[in-house]
Amino acid sequence: MADLIEGVNPTRMELLKLKTKVKLAKKGHRLLKEKRDALIMEFFNILEEAKGARRQAEARLSEAFHALILAQASMGVLKVTQCAYAAKETPGIETYTRSIMGVRVPVLELQETSRSVIERGYGLADTTSQLDEAAARFEEALAAVVQLAEVERSIKLLAKEIESTKRRVNALENVLIPRLEATVKYIKMRLDEMERENFFKLKRIKAIMEAR
Amino acid sequence: MKISVIADFDTVVGFRLAGVKQGYAVNSPEEALERLRELVKKEDVGLVIITERLVDKIRGDVEKLLEKKSFPLLVEIPDKAGPIEKKVDPLKELVRRAVGVDIKIE
Repeated sequence: MADLIEGVNPTRMELLKLKTKVKLAKKGHRLLKEKRDALIMEFFNILEEAKGARRQAEARLSEAFHALILAQASMGVLKVTQCAYAAKETPGIETYTRSIMGVRVPVLELQETSRSVIERGYGLADTTSQLDEAAARFEEALAAVVQLAEVERSIKLLAKEIESTKRRVNALENVLIPRLEATVKYIKMRLDEMERENFFKLKRIKAIMEAR
Repeated sequence: MKISVIADFDTVVGFRLAGVKQGYAVNSPEEALERLRELVKKEDVGLVIITERLVDKIRGDVEKLLEKKSFPLLVEIPDKAGPIEKKVDPLKELVRRAVGVDIKIE
């Protein structure tokens, strides 16, 4: 049997209070359990995405590195580096947060990464098509990496939330609720016992009075 | 917000071509950590791209650094030598902790 809550007086008031507490705890437990299940479902949905995103980003990157090496071979490392410094900056990312079952997860939005050769900003006269290829591949890779970052962060946050929700569900289920119920039972028994005692006392007094 | 790259030289050059101007070429994990510290202080960095090889040695410090923050996000990418072998698949570990069972991924 579960432990009793310490320091409770076996009175009717206490019993009533405990009964409402049990009801509340059970309601909370049910809600948390539902939350946990919903979170796990969301988690699996995102997991599907995450699996694909990592693989895709890795594939894009290895293509991009390959193209870069070709560009460096055709133009020389120094020249490629120069062009890289000349390239125009992307506008960056927009960030928001979105809520999945009350968990705030980030959303990253990358403005248009693919650019035409002219928009990139390096000179065309002394650069090779391999360089254009490398830049295009890296632009694609960047989009995939941003996507990956978003999904991975979301999944981490969800996992954390699931863990803490699970812990709360278990604490209610295995500790708090049994303890409350045991205390309710204890108080009930004490009250019944007191009633029987009283009843017997009265009988006894009556008998003594009559005997006189 | 801005994107930042902390990686080896070639990776930085590649992302520069794609328009990511805040690229820091570093030679050691310690240097990478130092850079990351600076970036975290800046408010306008939304995403830090870092190579797995660098982050693997300083994982503890990195996690401590980013623990309480929602931005910047950190994403680990393989460098030009390809993905490194990991002892535990981080995704698998997450699933195991969240759901409590080992699920075969892929």
